[in-house]
Amino acid sequence: MLELRNVTKIYNPGEVTENCLFQDFSLQIADGEFVSVVGSNGSGKTSMLNIICGSIPVEKGELLLDGKDITHLPEHRRYEQIGRVYQNPAMGSCPDLTILENLCLAENKNKPFGFGRAVDRKRAAHFAEMLRPLGLGLEEKPDVLVGALSGGQRQALSLLMATMTPIRFLILDEHTAALDPKTAEIIMELTDRIVREKKLTAIMVTHNLRYAVEYGSRMLMMHKGSVILDKTGEEKAAVTVADLLATFNDISIECGN
Amino acid sequence: MQTLLATAEVFLRSGFVFSLIAMGYYISYTLLDFPDLTVEGTFLSGAAVFAILIHHGVNAWIALVASFLVGFLFGTLTGILHVKLRIRPLLCGILVSTALLTVNLIAVSAGMTGDFSGESTSQISYGRGAATLDNVFPINLIPPRIPGLNLALRELILFALLAILFKYLLDWFLSTKRGMLLRATGSNDRFVTTLAKDCGNSKILGLGIGNAYAAVAGALYTHISGNVNQSMGTGTIVIGLASLIIGLSVFKRVRFLRPSTKVILGALLYQLCLTVAQKMGVPSAYNKLIMAVLFTGALLLSRRGRAAKQAAAGRE
Repeated sequence: MLELRNVTKIYNPGEVTENCLFQDFSLQIADGEFVSVVGSNGSGKTSMLNIICGSIPVEKGELLLDGKDITHLPEHRRYEQIGRVYQNPAMGSCPDLTILENLCLAENKNKPFGFGRAVDRKRAAHFAEMLRPLGLGLEEKPDVLVGALSGGQRQALSLLMATMTPIRFLILDEHTAALDPKTAEIIMELTDRIVREKKLTAIMVTHNLRYAVEYGSRMLMMHKGSVILDKTGEEKAAVTVADLLATFNDISIECGN
Repeated sequence: MQTLLATAEVFLRSGFVFSLIAMGYYISYTLLDFPDLTVEGTFLSGAAVFAILIHHGVNAWIALVASFLVGFLFGTLTGILHVKLRIRPLLCGILVSTALLTVNLIAVSAGMTGDFSGESTSQISYGRGAATLDNVFPINLIPPRIPGLNLALRELILFALLAILFKYLLDWFLSTKRGMLLRATGSNDRFVTTLAKDCGNSKILGLGIGNAYAAVAGALYTHISGNVNQSMGTGTIVIGLASLIIGLSVFKRVRFLRPSTKVILGALLYQLCLTVAQKMGVPSAYNKLIMAVLFTGALLLSRRGRAAKQAAAGRE
């Protein structure tokens, strides 16, 4: 159980550009939930993910993991249990290292990084087995620099690497937004399969309403720092893209657009 | 023929010594993208520590290790200023190297005469009789009376062996998990954070190693100059960076060479250019000017390489 309790987040406090995004924001995410989050720009979706991961500090409130306060746990310590895939495919891997080197690093997560050899050639076959189902040809070029791969290839690799060690939470920050429709589809299906197989608790921010409707066990719509729609189970299954679009329109009218 | 050989000895000798700074910069500048100005200070610190210990009769190899450790310590200081206090890279280097101006002065004074006011002496010179790396194990195994093997040639062999030793040390480190994590930190520190590792630690470690290498270069340089003086660190930043950039850009397309090898070749090439300029009759007062011009040339060369690479990848 992950819980945000009365979180207040203010950007640029004390300056002219001060902007209070969250005011007493609370949210509970149960184990095993696959939450898809939609909402307009600036509604606080990505900020919420950043708060959960510890990438940005909060002004007030608490973050609880199984009832334990993790509000002040540094970002890198939180990733012991979290895997994260970013919108930008370049963020989830090291462009200057080869595919094999990236995979070896990712596999060593939560183990000590000591003075043993980093690259174990014997693992190459195992990695190839893992990469083959993607159908992207990555298994044939373990020694190619990741920087030379396409966005889709890098994102698939990022997703695999983020989930290859035991984690509890998978944070997906618009991870299909920078991809072409076909590749986005492949990545989305892969995501769903991994979340099911590894029984992960996932939070996925997306602008693709169809993905939000089709995937996940719970859906949130956010607006101006609060959750305005929260559907689970049957209710979630009944939601259609048209419903979501209608809600979006209502919000826009409210805002005077 | 004789003078040609002597000239070759001179440029090879300084090339091998300064290749250590360049290898250090390979970690801090190339891998971590950290323009580290601490090096001028740590070069001198390494020299001072080495010379003081030799003066007091300490085994030369132990003195060399001590230089390495002192350089490492001051390098981590720069790293800590950057990582923990969030000070910009350039300022961290300026701060620590400025502080080291005092530290080195006091160290030499206190180390030689025990005077902590720093007013007694600012120089160390040791005679050729001192038990330096030349005449302790294993270099003393080379018989002194082989025809043609004079002192300069012995030193050349010593420096070449040390450069190769430190090259392999660097290669080994970068192949370890720790080293790979450091490379990953320079490549994408967000990724390292998601591996549940504090990327600040890698930066501190990298700067430590970079400056440890510079300090060892300083220690070895005392062999060439025969003394330690407070201005010997000046210009080492340019020498180190220029050697690094020349090595990596000239040998860019040579696939089978490791970066560390390219860096050593770059250092040799750089010293060759300087020596050629001198042999052409350019007064040594023009040295620093030539260095700056060479450095600019190296930068342009590396940029042209990058532009070609981008064009090849279809990006403008």
